[in-house]
Amino acid sequence: MKTKRYAIVLDTHRCIDCKACTVACKVENNVPLGKENYRNWVGADPLRGSYPNLGESYTPSQCQHCSNPPCAHVCPTSATTVSPDGIVHVIDHKCIGCKYCMTACPYNARYYNEEIEAVDKCTFCTQRIQVGRIPACVETCPTKVRVFGDINDPNSEVSQLLAENPSRVLKEAQGTKPNLYYLI
Amino acid sequence: MSRLIDKKLSRRRFLGLSTCTLATAVVGSQVKVLRALASSGDITAPVAGDEKNIFTTCGMCVNKCGVIARVKNGVIEKLDPNPNFIKSRAMLCARGNAGIKVVYDPDRLKYPLIRTGARGEGKFRRASWTEALDLVAKNLNEIADKHTRAGVMFASTEGTYQDHFFNQLAECFGTPNTVRHPTLCLSSNIQGFSATFGTNPTPDVLNADYIIMSGANRSEALITPDSIDLLKGDGGRRKLIYLDPRFTKTAAKADKWFPIKPGTDMAFILAMIHVIVTEELYDHDYVKEQTVGFDKLISHIQQYTPEWAEGETDIHADAIRRVAREFAMAAPKSVYYHGRRSSFMSNDTQMRRAMAILNGIVGNWDTKGGMIPNSGIKLAKHDYIAPWYDDVPDRIDAGSVSFLSEKDGSWPVVQERVLAANPYPIKGMMVYKQNILASVPDRAKTLKMMEQMDFICTIDIAMSDTAWYSDVVLPEATYLERLDPIESLGGIVPVAVMRQPCIEAMFESKPNLWIMQELATRFGEEVAEQFNFTMEEYIQHQVKDNPAILAALQEKGVYFDRTEPVYGTTRGKKLKTVSGKIEIFSQRYADKGLDPIPVYTSPETIPAGKFRLLVGRHAIFTHGTTANNAYLHEIMPENTLWLNTKSAAGQGLTNGMLVKVKSPVGEETLRLEVTDKIRPDSVYMAHGFGVLSKGLSNIYGKGGCDAALIETRYCPISGNAALHETLVEVVPA
Ligand code: SF4
Ligand code: SF4
Repeated sequence: MKTKRYAIVLDTHRCIDCKACTVACKVENNVPLGKENYRNWVGADPLRGSYPNLGESYTPSQCQHCSNPPCAHVCPTSATTVSPDGIVHVIDHKCIGCKYCMTACPYNARYYNEEIEAVDKCTFCTQRIQVGRIPACVETCPTKVRVFGDINDPNSEVSQLLAENPSRVLKEAQGTKPNLYYLI
Repeated sequence: MSRLIDKKLSRRRFLGLSTCTLATAVVGSQVKVLRALASSGDITAPVAGDEKNIFTTCGMCVNKCGVIARVKNGVIEKLDPNPNFIKSRAMLCARGNAGIKVVYDPDRLKYPLIRTGARGEGKFRRASWTEALDLVAKNLNEIADKHTRAGVMFASTEGTYQDHFFNQLAECFGTPNTVRHPTLCLSSNIQGFSATFGTNPTPDVLNADYIIMSGANRSEALITPDSIDLLKGDGGRRKLIYLDPRFTKTAAKADKWFPIKPGTDMAFILAMIHVIVTEELYDHDYVKEQTVGFDKLISHIQQYTPEWAEGETDIHADAIRRVAREFAMAAPKSVYYHGRRSSFMSNDTQMRRAMAILNGIVGNWDTKGGMIPNSGIKLAKHDYIAPWYDDVPDRIDAGSVSFLSEKDGSWPVVQERVLAANPYPIKGMMVYKQNILASVPDRAKTLKMMEQMDFICTIDIAMSDTAWYSDVVLPEATYLERLDPIESLGGIVPVAVMRQPCIEAMFESKPNLWIMQELATRFGEEVAEQFNFTMEEYIQHQVKDNPAILAALQEKGVYFDRTEPVYGTTRGKKLKTVSGKIEIFSQRYADKGLDPIPVYTSPETIPAGKFRLLVGRHAIFTHGTTANNAYLHEIMPENTLWLNTKSAAGQGLTNGMLVKVKSPVGEETLRLEVTDKIRPDSVYMAHGFGVLSKGLSNIYGKGGCDAALIETRYCPISGNAALHETLVEVVPA
């Protein structure tokens, strides 16, 4: 069997900026409170037009689990590694807190977690995937903006979505090869 | 003196089940402990503990979504959505996810408190339950002796599932004065739609092709399943037209947003009716067979042309015509969605009537994609007998409005009448989780109303403003620590839910039923006997005719008897109106001297330098109860005053500055948010800030309180508060 390559496909047209994904993530992954620490976030894109002709869209984001991850390349202790299924991890006890990876990440996906004294970021909720569940942000979303799955499996929902719809990745020019796909 | 009428207590006993207990229903397969990463040696192996996944129901807002609580070693680790919970389409919103911080909140009320300082000073001492309950009973009895039992009022929230017991105690204590939330919320909707259809239906959002919303901000004021279904257009068929003075997140999702002038929605609707009637776009057969008063409507709406409405609403006549035609074309799969909170202006009931009539004439009643009467899950009722006191007068707000709800009352009227002791004094107040200082208009007046009370007891989980001003504060167990009765959530596809305790109640907190039972004992044998049951017995009794409900709740965390809507059960049948038909013309209204067909009146013109104050919900908080939650507070630490970019420039006000908002009844200081997302004649602030209680440590001192600014105005038909009638000035602080 082919190895897995986990990815998330997002239909941001459905996002209502309700922040359920953000809170679910913080609870699931014990992300510290009150320090502006986030593993995922939702941004309102700049307001289009002016009163009374307006438009606004919302973009949820998180670690892109790049296939060519600059964070891993700069880590002096190999604390940042990529697991066989494509999930970019920080092994906390190997992290020395130099924050090079935070600077290297074009998506601002990493934060320094003072409670565990290591850099932390989205892991696609590895602990849930291992027991056959989907990441907390994917599961809790009212409008099901995110779909999680294996893009190496051509029959997975993510593969089907990417086949049927045009999509884009963030900051493609950086060559990071992200695994979060935004439907256009 | 009160006299207990000698009444045989021939209570239909539902007991005799005293041995039954409900074992906590856990999710079938235990989630296994993660070892995969541990095996690589990269992370420490998680310690296996006692892990349980418990079905329960969210208690953070009115929707009551299905929850699976993951509990490990007696600690709730995470609340996940219950995938079987069809009503919420298997989701939990930000508040639902933040629920664990309701339990693990340092600000939680931990034990009974008795006030030692002046009211509002925040000085309390810890008391035992016995002392606190004795004090409550003593005070209430004394007030009852002096002022009859009507001298004590009971105010409660809804949705805790235990509010039934609180209201039962009110009734058994003998007061007619129970006040609940509807007149701060949706009572004019209930009234306007019921007057037309005999019931308040639910719009079939999932299957409608064309939806118009007036201010029902469904992408922020989350209502399940509507908020979710709204985005489920099949191949883009769905069209959403959204009217709101603010560009909300619903506006961002709409096909067309109209920044309507506040208080003029009825003009828009009447003009739509004008177009549909004059262009004969209505459902002729349906109107002929199933409605009364259409002939009168024809002449009535002649004056309400789209050109006239343009002057009222600021929406172009052509646009009104287009929307009206599209709406009629899409019918019967088109709905004018009425939403929940309908406390806009004092003409709100008539505005909702107009909406209902518009829905009625396009024939969308009880048909796919239209307006569907609600169904529910049948549960056996708990019977009790309330002692009767013949010296107790009618409700304090009796006769104040045309259609007053017997149990709910009208908050704005109660507030004014208690203050004036008109027609009699109310000197005692029992509050169950209702935060009246944050929710009833004119906080200063509510404070005065409280000041004149001889005694106030509040039951809550946190030190709300209302608790802060109380004499005795009793800590309730949170929704994740209680066994709650089964509740039917009505709708197009109804479900039944219940709450199971995920952990033992922390500190000295107790479920409401226990508190009510303790007080009942202190109110004498007759009252105590009405509370002589356990929660388990109560639940077993609820399902005595259909045990499958409890079985499903234990197996799946939710009960439903169908997953698809059933349409047309009332179509062509006699409706619950006087005529049995859809009442375009209401004889009942005519008999009460009310307009039998809605007549439009313009809102007050806003003088230069003033703005209309708008309030509204959003997806992060529920009313005045969740802003202090650590997870939610982090997302929204304070509220701001929205002011239109041009208006701000005109007043020399800049983004981020502190401003004073002044109304005829109050003054609040908060930060200004200069934005294009609001009409130039209006300002908006979110609810839940500017608190008085220092017991809400995250938000004390942050933002401003809308209730402190809003004047007491209400709809004379339903008694619903009119929250958008207040004009304010904005000046630098
Ligand atoms: S939960 Fe879904 S809808 Fe809400 S903000 Fe996150 S992605 Fe958007
Ligand atoms: S909508 Fe959110 S707060 Fe309300 S019941 Fe559902 S999860 Fe809880």
